[in-house]
Amino acid sequence: MSLDRLFSIIAGYMEQWVVVPVLFRFHWMAWDDLAFDWCLICVYGLFAVFVTYAVCLPLEYWRPVERWPNKKAVAVDVFYTLLNRVGVVPIVTFVLFYQAQTWTTGFLVERGYIPPTLESLVPFLLDRPLLTFLIYALILDCADYWRHRLSHSFRWWYALHALHHAQRQMSFWSDDRNHLLDDTISFLWFFVIGLIIGIPPLQFPLLVLGLKFVESLSHANIRLSFGPLEWLFVSPRFHRFHHGLRAAGRHSCNYASVFPVWDILFRTADFRDEYLPTGDAKAPEALATGGYMAQQATGLKLFWQALGKSWASLGIGRAA
Amino acid sequence: MADSGAPPVAIVLNSGEGTVSVIDTVTRQVIRTEPAYREPSHWALTPDRQRLLVADASGNALFIYDPSTGAPMGHKRIADPYQIGYTPNNRYFVVNALRLDFVDVYDGADFSLVKRFKPGRWPSHLDFSPDSRWSFNSMQNSDTLCSFDLVNMTQRWSVKVGTTPAGVLWLNGRVIVCLMGEGGIVEVDPIRGGITHFQKTGDGAHNIFLDERRHILYVSNRGPGQTSLTALDPVTLQPVRTYPIPGGPDDIAIDPEGNIWIAQRFAESVAVLDPQTGEYSTIPVGRSPHGIFLSSMLRQQGQVTAERLL
Ligand SMILES: [Zn+2]
Ligand SMILES: [Zn+2]
Repeated sequence: MSLDRLFSIIAGYMEQWVVVPVLFRFHWMAWDDLAFDWCLICVYGLFAVFVTYAVCLPLEYWRPVERWPNKKAVAVDVFYTLLNRVGVVPIVTFVLFYQAQTWTTGFLVERGYIPPTLESLVPFLLDRPLLTFLIYALILDCADYWRHRLSHSFRWWYALHALHHAQRQMSFWSDDRNHLLDDTISFLWFFVIGLIIGIPPLQFPLLVLGLKFVESLSHANIRLSFGPLEWLFVSPRFHRFHHGLRAAGRHSCNYASVFPVWDILFRTADFRDEYLPTGDAKAPEALATGGYMAQQATGLKLFWQALGKSWASLGIGRAA
Repeated sequence: MADSGAPPVAIVLNSGEGTVSVIDTVTRQVIRTEPAYREPSHWALTPDRQRLLVADASGNALFIYDPSTGAPMGHKRIADPYQIGYTPNNRYFVVNALRLDFVDVYDGADFSLVKRFKPGRWPSHLDFSPDSRWSFNSMQNSDTLCSFDLVNMTQRWSVKVGTTPAGVLWLNGRVIVCLMGEGGIVEVDPIRGGITHFQKTGDGAHNIFLDERRHILYVSNRGPGQTSLTALDPVTLQPVRTYPIPGGPDDIAIDPEGNIWIAQRFAESVAVLDPQTGEYSTIPVGRSPHGIFLSSMLRQQGQVTAERLL
């Protein structure tokens, strides 16, 4: 049995014996179909966390960049990961995305416009699902490159993104540590892209996990570069350079999540073989070592202050 | 039917992965997997029986396949087709756009949009009166059944029928509606919309089918825990037998030998049930199989629809 089939069947049991009883009890059976998708997301999410853990943990022991006397600052990253990969966030995001997507689609359809998919725009792709997946992955990764790069360019946006950079004990758990508002902006960003090119088909969930794995691995505390393939996938070395103290803030490099090609193409790549300490020297200590709530609150405060400064510099706020 | 050399096939719509599985019904093996965009759910056969239209809801398209071989024949862009059907006189092609809350009435010949109704949340399943005058559409998230007059293009009524209505079938001058939230079916008076009877079948009653000889009514139950298929007497609506079918049975189709082909939504399989013995075997297909069509249905008399197998 293929892994995909095994996961679907586990998700099927979860649907039938755990989720549907709840839906039935509370008169939410209309969500029965979509609930199966949530189950799939949870099963695949759990598997991804497990595999990442199983691969990265030994590697971090074997050739760590840094050795820490204690790992207290890592705990909050574990929480971010579980929340984002298996917990509530994927389900809330799923429902929000679904509602927003149907609302806008309905709005457009009533005005005589049917939103496309990539294959309807490029018919050649129809019976080439793997190629379709690859092109979706490239387009979405390129969009993410620009989202990330812009988040370093605006004062107010970096105030949120600083939370991601404040971690001095960066590990494979750090990929999901983001401010909720920053996550919301990403959500809207990809929502608009989804309207333009459609949402990729669910045909290759394992490949999606593969891409997410590259992102997690890239944060790992491992002395590892991909050598001659360094240009192909973002390595721990490549992304650590982005997290280096020198690169924190509004002028940085190595923005790509999965494919460094965007950094090469847009001239922001730095392939120096150095493993720098990570963190953001200007960030308040709460962003680095605070708990989840403290980090979120501090992020919000910084965002608010930065927004004031941005407005003032535009001459919109009170005269400086 | 043109192609006598081709094996009889079952065409299974994998709504969870945007593909269609073509099964050789003799060897019971998947022989091909054909592409759709995102979410092929239900089907309708064109009046000339030359094309099988497959509704791809979130892909916003009707995919077209050769009904006797499953070979792809292109596709057509339309908004969010979920459940679809031709009126018995073939004049109109009616689409329940579940996500967008539309009931769209298209011209059956040229697919131009004739009328768009917005009768409630999540239009799910549909059926027609035999004279093609009325359509009956269940609103899955408004708990209502709506009826439309397709001569005047007006809404006739909308009534609360129970929690999460799904499958709809015109039967003996009545409309039967499955209630996913309540574990049974209701019989509705097509004139005024009043409920005349409730019959328990199983938790999560989802879809309803009448066999070719009008002897048995089948209801698929997709409720919590063990799921099943209930056989009922179509006149008295009394349950005759219940078949435990795991994995959330959805649409069914009956082959010439009388075996029932059942899409198992959450088990990535099609079950082939012998209704005499109650035994079944399964065939692995794609994710979340939803609608199912058998090429043998092309030999049936009258209009071939997913629900009335006659
Ligand atoms: Zn950054
Ligand atoms: Zn990072």
